[in-house]
Amino acid sequence: MVFNPNAVNSAMFMIVVLVATAGLFVLLEAYFLAILQVLVYAGAVMVLFLFIIMLLDVDKGDDLKLGRRKLSLLARFFGVCLVAFLIFNSFSEVNLPSPDLGTVGDYPGIESGIDFSTSAKSFGLILFTKYMLPFQIIGFLLLIAMIGVIVISKKQKTAE
Amino acid sequence: MNDLLINFLRETSQTNHWFVLLPEIALALLAISMLGLDLFKKSPNAPSNPASRLNTRISIIGQIGIFIAISCFGSAFYEENRVLFGGLLEQSEKTQFMRCFFVFASISITLLSDRYLGKFKLPKAEYLHLSLLVCAGFMLLVQSAHFILFFVVLEMVTVAFYVLVAFQRTHLLSLEAGLKYLTLGALSSTILLFGIVLLYGIAGNPEMAGFVQDGFQFKELQQFISLHPENLIVRLGALLVISGICFKIGAVPFQIWVPDVYQGAPTPTTAYLATASKAAGIFILIQLLQGPFLALSAFLIPFLSVICAVTILYGNIAATGQTNIKRLIGLSGISHAGYLLLGVIAAISVPFAFDAVLFYLTVYMVSSILAFGTITYLGQVEESTIELRDFNGLLHRSPFLGSLGLISLGSLAGIPPLGGFIGKLLLFWVAYQAGLFFLLAVAIIGVVISIYYYFGWLRAIVLRPEGEELVEYPLDSSPLLLSERCFFISLLTLVVILGLFPGLLLNLI
Repeated sequence: MVFNPNAVNSAMFMIVVLVATAGLFVLLEAYFLAILQVLVYAGAVMVLFLFIIMLLDVDKGDDLKLGRRKLSLLARFFGVCLVAFLIFNSFSEVNLPSPDLGTVGDYPGIESGIDFSTSAKSFGLILFTKYMLPFQIIGFLLLIAMIGVIVISKKQKTAE
Repeated sequence: MNDLLINFLRETSQTNHWFVLLPEIALALLAISMLGLDLFKKSPNAPSNPASRLNTRISIIGQIGIFIAISCFGSAFYEENRVLFGGLLEQSEKTQFMRCFFVFASISITLLSDRYLGKFKLPKAEYLHLSLLVCAGFMLLVQSAHFILFFVVLEMVTVAFYVLVAFQRTHLLSLEAGLKYLTLGALSSTILLFGIVLLYGIAGNPEMAGFVQDGFQFKELQQFISLHPENLIVRLGALLVISGICFKIGAVPFQIWVPDVYQGAPTPTTAYLATASKAAGIFILIQLLQGPFLALSAFLIPFLSVICAVTILYGNIAATGQTNIKRLIGLSGISHAGYLLLGVIAAISVPFAFDAVLFYLTVYMVSSILAFGTITYLGQVEESTIELRDFNGLLHRSPFLGSLGLISLGSLAGIPPLGGFIGKLLLFWVAYQAGLFFLLAVAIIGVVISIYYYFGWLRAIVLRPEGEELVEYPLDSSPLLLSERCFFISLLTLVVILGLFPGLLLNLI
């Protein structure tokens, strides 16, 4: 699908991949990460990608070259194999080792330091206490990125 | 439940002493005020006046204030042996010194950039904004003792550098340099991040003996690694982290970007990359090798030794055939990174080597800024294409610029009365003490080669070419301002004084 000559189609397929990854996060009980994945990547970032593709008016590529077609066949083959393996793995006796994820409360680590947790609330608790400094710095990072884009793309008018 | 929660919140945030970060916060505010000044221009659509120096003045005065604050009243922003920000920050006398170092570098860059940006009519406010934030980032970087803070700050600095490198966007070479720095910088960040993740994953694994709560924290990581120095994942992770940092300092085999980026980037950015960026990388490398990776030193030293030897030889040999000035400085900068790596390796066994490295970094910073200053003030033409022959007879055309060039290059080459000589001597001495005889021999060979190309450059400055026609290179039409002259003269005397009385600086470190 990545080899699709139409850039818009490729971007659409990428959204599918991102949503599927979000599904994997849900299965791992990392709901917050899954929501972020859908909101930020599938939502915001991909919309920007599509915008740029449409702005640049990318031509449809030529027909698939022979090598590319072979490569995409290979990719499809591996994809099917992977799905078959996963189905086999989940319904047969021989399982891949799957570690148990312990149940974690809403306020982890109150008794014993900071612990692993997946709920959105505990992200917030840690982010605005212990990791306040990196959080602020990320704000500056975004500011820098914004300034950078403006500087590099704005029309320069200079006085003579 | 509520009380528990309040206690938890209080506990996790009680070590957030924002006051110790006052210099960095002040720099960030200064950076934002640079943008704010642009808002109050008379008409928003009027083209920016390249001759306006208001931004630069405010920026320089503010930075000098911060410099004085750290160097004179440093104890106010300094708390050793205390957990800061829950272990994110760690301060020592060395980090205090580096904070002064970065502010000093930033002041010099601001001065250089004022001339450069005016020359090419580029927007000043944004450049100053970014360079101030980069300075604050470097100051945080050397103090970070936690991989999360470390990586976030490193990314902030790198992203700002992408923009600073491509700042002269109407010029092809600058854009090319920006693109190269972007792709290779992103690659090195992934390598670094992968290493960090491997270390975090293995250190927090409950299956491992002595696993730690927070595998990002340097001290906890050090405890864990000292228990498992043989572990494959630990070794791989450490190696990847070191590789990522070696990219930043431009050590072989991660040096490919250096000549192109140094050539294409605006000269002040090149100076910033060559001095502050390299210094931060070297400092972090020493801190990692003496902290978390201490137990791995038997495994890492062979790798670092090979990198060091190849870096010294590559940088020097590649520079001999180079005639483009900025590429030449880039390649010789690679070899300087090699000498510094010699000190880094020695620092694992000889404590004084840390001081020697800091001394070398300082002298290298001052001399490089002088050299870049000479380039900036040389002519009104495109700077990325300045060749060696453009320096012909500079001493006769402009005695001031000529002597700037002479002293700075003499110091970089390591000629005795100047600071660069003492810097190299100290590095070689600690390498001798640490018993790195093979590397010492390589470094001395490197210095001998470097004298060849540095003297070629010096000869061009001093001698008037005979026989061939003298290419009249137009000196910059606008004269040097008094403040600029004062600044460069003070840098010159600094280089000479450091050569004569190195103890002055060594006592400070």
